[in-house]
Amino acid sequence: MSGCALNEKEFFSCCQLLLQQSEHLRDGWSWEAVQVRRPLNLDLDEQPGPVVATRFHSDGITGDGGDEDDAVCVLSEGSSHVLQYEYHILYSCSYSAPVLYFRAFTLEGRSLMLEDVWSSVHPNFRHCLQNSPLTAITQQEHPLLGQPFFMLHPCRTEEFMRPVLQEAQEQPR
Amino acid sequence: MADDKDVLRDVWFGRIPTCFTLNQDEVTEREAEAYYLLLPRVSYLTLVTDKVKKHFLKVMRAEDVEEMWFEYEGTPLKWHYPIGVLFDLHASNSVLPWSITVHFKNFPDQDLLHCPSSSVIEAHFMSSIKEADALKHKSQVVNDMQKKDHKQLWMGLQNDKFDQFWAMNRKLMEYPTEEGGFRYIPFRIYQAMSDRPFIQKLFRPVSPEGNAYTLGDLLKEMYPAAITNDAHL
Repeated sequence: MSGCALNEKEFFSCCQLLLQQSEHLRDGWSWEAVQVRRPLNLDLDEQPGPVVATRFHSDGITGDGGDEDDAVCVLSEGSSHVLQYEYHILYSCSYSAPVLYFRAFTLEGRSLMLEDVWSSVHPNFRHCLQNSPLTAITQQEHPLLGQPFFMLHPCRTEEFMRPVLQEAQEQPR
Repeated sequence: MADDKDVLRDVWFGRIPTCFTLNQDEVTEREAEAYYLLLPRVSYLTLVTDKVKKHFLKVMRAEDVEEMWFEYEGTPLKWHYPIGVLFDLHASNSVLPWSITVHFKNFPDQDLLHCPSSSVIEAHFMSSIKEADALKHKSQVVNDMQKKDHKQLWMGLQNDKFDQFWAMNRKLMEYPTEEGGFRYIPFRIYQAMSDRPFIQKLFRPVSPEGNAYTLGDLLKEMYPAAITNDAHL
């Protein structure tokens, strides 16, 4: 495996594949083309990229979370908080790699803090994030929306994806 | 780069005279006086305002104090932008000193990133340095530097030490002349009236024919609306 470097065209076609899969699974990914309003002229301008995919995932915690896919994270066992996660995949032309941005809210609209995010990371991934945690998941400004999101550092994308990709290669579906 | 030393020093030592006033809705035990400070353009708000915090904490009770944040004319100020960028974006047309309002409550977490410690500022700064080097040198220079070199870069910024900073930064600013310069130019065009924080795209320093591009060429390509018909660059 030569790493996660993708050019923008490759990223675009991978997104199309993801969207096809998502249609089958009905798990909610969508393609959001970005419209940028230029301040100095008032026409809306369609941008060819960067590109975004979004997914809302509601998650009730009480015990039957085990059957859900591995992306489900719990905030605290035994509580009745429902969390809503929003994931965006953007393309970084600086790193030629996809970058994951996400944020989470309680139903009351309270956004999760970084400590909450850490405690909700699946234990299998926690150890690899704990080496220099500040270079793994950090709060960042979303490059298109300008709002605070959490970001998985593109330098670490390959590190996180490697076990997933290896397993996928070993078990073709 | 040696000829540019004066320019480098002028950029580094740029200062903005600022007046910090406590938000009038904060609960105080007595009246809070304004606090004046010269802010370094190249640094970050949360890195250089410990004295501001200490000053206002003297008139407040601990239970009324949460994470400090800054606002200018109703707009929360993003600490993760360099101070000079914030000033140029929001206040460049106003009279000096720059009047900033200080808050200790109601942190606007839909607008601002949290800044619980200086390690967060350091991580953010180093992340920008690394991304810039990914564009300039495919990350080769920054990855060849040792951890202590990265630390020196950060300490130089934190302690306002030009020579300490540039001893390391000059490595990041070198390129073999036969290649015409950096691989791509790291740049960001910030806009005041837009959700999108900045425009950042790949841009080569030389044309396919080998001619060096200018700032005007970059603006024409990335932000043509900034160049009106009667402006000359």
